[in-house]
Amino acid sequence: MNKLEIDWTRCDGHGLCAGLLPDDVLLDEWGFPVLRGREITAGELPDARRAVLACPALALRLNNR
Amino acid sequence: MITVEEIRVIGEARVLAGLDQGRLDLQRHLLTHGDQPQLTRADYTNLSEAVGLRGRGGAAFPVALKLQDLPARGVEAVVVNGSESEPVSRKDRLLLTQSPHLVLDGAVGLAHALGAPHVLIAVHDPAAALSVREALMERDDGLAVEVRETPGRFVAGEARAVLSALEGGLAVPPGRRVLPTRKGYHRRPTFLSNVETFAQLAVLARLGSRGFSSTGLISEPGTQLLTVDGAVQWPGVIEAPTGVPLDTVLQYAGAEPGPVLLGGYHGRWLEQTDGVTLQRPEVSAGIILALGPATCPLGEVTRVAQWLSSQSAGQCGPCVFGLAALVDDFARLTVGDPQGWHDAHRHLGLVPGRGACAHPDGTARFLTSALEVFDDDVQRHLSGRGCGRPVLGLLGGAR
Repeated sequence: MNKLEIDWTRCDGHGLCAGLLPDDVLLDEWGFPVLRGREITAGELPDARRAVLACPALALRLNNR
Repeated sequence: MITVEEIRVIGEARVLAGLDQGRLDLQRHLLTHGDQPQLTRADYTNLSEAVGLRGRGGAAFPVALKLQDLPARGVEAVVVNGSESEPVSRKDRLLLTQSPHLVLDGAVGLAHALGAPHVLIAVHDPAAALSVREALMERDDGLAVEVRETPGRFVAGEARAVLSALEGGLAVPPGRRVLPTRKGYHRRPTFLSNVETFAQLAVLARLGSRGFSSTGLISEPGTQLLTVDGAVQWPGVIEAPTGVPLDTVLQYAGAEPGPVLLGGYHGRWLEQTDGVTLQRPEVSAGIILALGPATCPLGEVTRVAQWLSSQSAGQCGPCVFGLAALVDDFARLTVGDPQGWHDAHRHLGLVPGRGACAHPDGTARFLTSALEVFDDDVQRHLSGRGCGRPVLGLLGGAR
């Protein structure tokens, strides 16, 4: 089961994740991501992986636990 | 600064035994408690499981589960977390300054059982550090026992922040969720717990599960240390059986009637104390703060919120911006701005679960329960007239 995760100590609120994964990530009033928390399906995995690679702070992670 | 001098016991004195005569040096410690029996790792696990012993630092994690999660060999260190970063709490400092040998017995006994070569005691209070160092001069434990002074900031007391500080890094929680039992001190398996947990382990080793269970709740027998403060006549540390009624403890401390904050700055407000009993996890690190009738609850809560906001490690955006926004919301609410009330509710939903540690979660829990319990007071403030009471600063917090 795949879920998005944020390392809050790294996240600087660049906001790229919300642009790349609008169904899974929203931005709060300070520009930090709010995760929907739902599971990433197999079909969405490639997009999610791309978003993880695009995070400039290396804060977005995909966790398969 | 809130100071606590009194020590009192309801029922049987266990971890505070012998302290009515002052600090226990090694000789008086042995006279009071007797020798620490040599137990195996299986003994410690079985005993902790039999009495349902839980960590006394606030998270109330079962000790037996923590022991079972350690690998069979290669345990690097036993760490005593004595940072006691809750500003009102005094119980751990009391144990380290007055009964250091009991804490050392618990930690060293467990380290021998686990085959761990290091015992580290993380302390930030200079008097506590001195007391433990003096105690170490009196004993020969056959392993490396070290006292390390760590920063006193609120989030610096978090388990992983303590480990980071012990390794020479910054005393802040890391971004990855790792368990100290798997990757602790220098990324090696580590048993870390609160000061009182080790004192309770030392008592448990001596009494056995049956003797230990002669007082307290069936589900979690034994005693607990409580720090009582606020609008009370006799603030101090009280040892009481688990499951003791909150009203009994308040009476003992001479508390004024009124709402009570249970569990410290990350705890919850109680409107009614009737029928509330004290046990983990609700009692958390054992802090009981009585508000009394004379002070403005919202003003007190705002002061604590200010302090909590100032104690953020500054690593995580939602904590830095969210807690600052909440302080502002509460300040506006207190002067009667209805938008402050709306903003506070929105921000309280945005903060929990969005940080490396539980600081934003705990702060939100404290403020959410304040809005619930002090609803009448909130309405009075929103009507623009205020509650007519001054802010006495009974809870500490920002000046």
